Amino acid sequence: MVIPPQNRVVVTGLGVLSSIGTGAAEFEAALRAGREGRAQLTAFDTTGFAHSYGCPVTGFDPARWLRNIPPDELSRAAQFAATAGRMAITDANLTENDLKHSHIAIGTTEGGGHELDQLTAATLTNGPEHLDPNLIAKTSAAALATAVARELAIPNAHTSTIATACAAGNYAIGDAFDALRDGEAEIALCGGAEAIARKTFTVFYRLGLIAPDHCRPFDVARRGILTAEGAAVLLLETFESARRRGARIYAEVLGYGLNCDAALPTAPTRDSVADCMRRALADAGVKTDEVDLIVAHGTGTPANDSTEAGAIRDVYGDSPPPVTGLKSMLGHAMGAASALGAAAAALAIAHRFVPPTINHRETDPACAIDCVPNQTRQAGPDIVQNNGFAFGGNNAIVIMGRHT
Amino acid sequence: MIDITAWSAVSPYGMDATSFASAIRARRPAMRWADPAGPPGTVASLVPGFDQRAVLGRKGTKGMDRVTGLAITAVSALSRAPNRDTALVLGTTGGSVRSAMNLTRASLIAQRPYDVDPATIPSVVMNCAAGHCAIWHGITGPNTTIAGGRAAGLLCLAYARRLLRAGRASTVLCGAAEEYSAERSWLTRHDTRVVGEGAAMLRLEFSHARTAHPLATLLAVGATVPEVLERAGVRADEVWAVIAGSEAERDAVAPMFDAAALDRVPLIAELAGDTGAVSAVFGIAATLAVADGLPRLAVVTATDPCGATAAAVLRVNAAQA
Repeated sequence: MVIPPQNRVVVTGLGVLSSIGTGAAEFEAALRAGREGRAQLTAFDTTGFAHSYGCPVTGFDPARWLRNIPPDELSRAAQFAATAGRMAITDANLTENDLKHSHIAIGTTEGGGHELDQLTAATLTNGPEHLDPNLIAKTSAAALATAVARELAIPNAHTSTIATACAAGNYAIGDAFDALRDGEAEIALCGGAEAIARKTFTVFYRLGLIAPDHCRPFDVARRGILTAEGAAVLLLETFESARRRGARIYAEVLGYGLNCDAALPTAPTRDSVADCMRRALADAGVKTDEVDLIVAHGTGTPANDSTEAGAIRDVYGDSPPPVTGLKSMLGHAMGAASALGAAAAALAIAHRFVPPTINHRETDPACAIDCVPNQTRQAGPDIVQNNGFAFGGNNAIVIMGRHT
Repeated sequence: MIDITAWSAVSPYGMDATSFASAIRARRPAMRWADPAGPPGTVASLVPGFDQRAVLGRKGTKGMDRVTGLAITAVSALSRAPNRDTALVLGTTGGSVRSAMNLTRASLIAQRPYDVDPATIPSVVMNCAAGHCAIWHGITGPNTTIAGGRAAGLLCLAYARRLLRAGRASTVLCGAAEEYSAERSWLTRHDTRVVGEGAAMLRLEFSHARTAHPLATLLAVGATVPEVLERAGVRADEVWAVIAGSEAERDAVAPMFDAAALDRVPLIAELAGDTGAVSAVFGIAATLAVADGLPRLAVVTATDPCGATAAAVLRVNAAQA
């Protein structure tokens, strides 16, 4: 027995913290301007790394945003999640009182990984006997979702932190979509949050996947990612709920797809990525010729981009829609990445523009797609596919559309 | 309705469900060892004789961490071949904390900070175990890792229920895994005296799709006991057993239930130590073991120190004649 889709699901609020802008309006302006969030990393000691650019969130003051939780109880990633949740309900013109029985799903790669790195360093210095219990508590990954519930004073919320690495944001959106469609809740807060951590940077550096200068998705000279941080929380609600209160609707979530490569832990598989796209399109009831834009996973690594472009051509044929690589601007915010992509997709649909792939010089023939090089386009995409792929072979793709 | 049609447990009692079930029925505490590298005075209940390379063989296990090995072993016990409509949902606290800390430590002490062993890299992400289970068993459907700490088992159950109801899978292998390590022992020293470990899985299917006789039916899963009782249409006085994650949790819900219901299934934490993410799945497995094929209603609760709470109502079904 499959539950028939009684409830359409719409996006009515966005909370964004990123290297290129804070809040939906600033984020949109930065996407349109093709701004790059690149800076030298200072979150950890980068001595000994030949290059250490990343895309950090700068000047973030959690005390400015959080009303109900003392910021020093939370990891940086949980501060991001709670702040983005606060922004999302404000953007949706809701108050804490409207959120009873809300569903909360937050994706992440590292959770409190930045704080776990600090505990590792403290163990080396002073031994494990003197680890700060408050710092230990902050390493909880589950606390990312409960931080949103605490900050928004939602008692007995249904929460989950989804730890499916770089696809986690899309997983969380999908989970919230299912909860709303099935009538478990009328309102959901979902997305992803990530803080830059030494460990993540080191892993990608060791694999030779950190770009020395810029992130250049789909470029023939692409050299890898820039590690990034931030959060995006989307406020989803049933169309019924949005209609009743006369809410502004950015976009509709049409469906999503999940699958697993079951092949290699650290590289995507073309057939499996294509299968995930087909699952998402089928779930959304959308045909390939109806899709106007693909927001790529587009990490800027040699393997990802050619695999992804190949899978797109396998599914879409020889003339796929434009494929934009937002990580050229945002860097790779891991568990927040596909949530930031979904927020960008909602803004692109609502405000009729296509954000570009910046830093682009020459498209790799192995990535034969139109990557919207360097220039924002004034166009009104009606249906957007947002890709997210992860270590572990976890793929998640969300389809969003103009609400009509 | 969603049924539990099979379960497995890799526990401090042994690597199979039978050893777990008989020990729980007898209320026998698991073996405890002095924790060799953890805080002084702590003890650990390990899965006896478990070594991932010894159990799984040397092929495909180079650099594999313990929690991944435990998870693969628990999934193996659910034997039936997966297809593209089989999903895997796995609960965790923080993956392999040992692997994560070791990688950062290596980076901090190496001459060159990127001199870390590439074979250990997959283990530093929390979804490593679920991804490896998919590779090992060829499970290409939805593959999800939920970080819920001690509430993970029930949060996974709620997530798995949504996957089934949305038609994203016809079968969900749903469970959790947690490894012992000295690193984890140090991190949990403020609220844990006995560090446990293990992995347990439930096979979940829609009631109509089953071919086997269901062991139990999931009536409701949510955040609190009153909520799930209401959703299930069950009165507290009908509940045969309450399975809490800790003594404090049991005390908190005690006023709602008959005293006898509170002690029918022993506390996993008392017998097998702090099994973290897998504790609530062990709780469900223990319920199935103790109910022994008689029709019963059970309430399972779980709380994590981060504030996550979850509860579920199960109906244990009569064993097939």
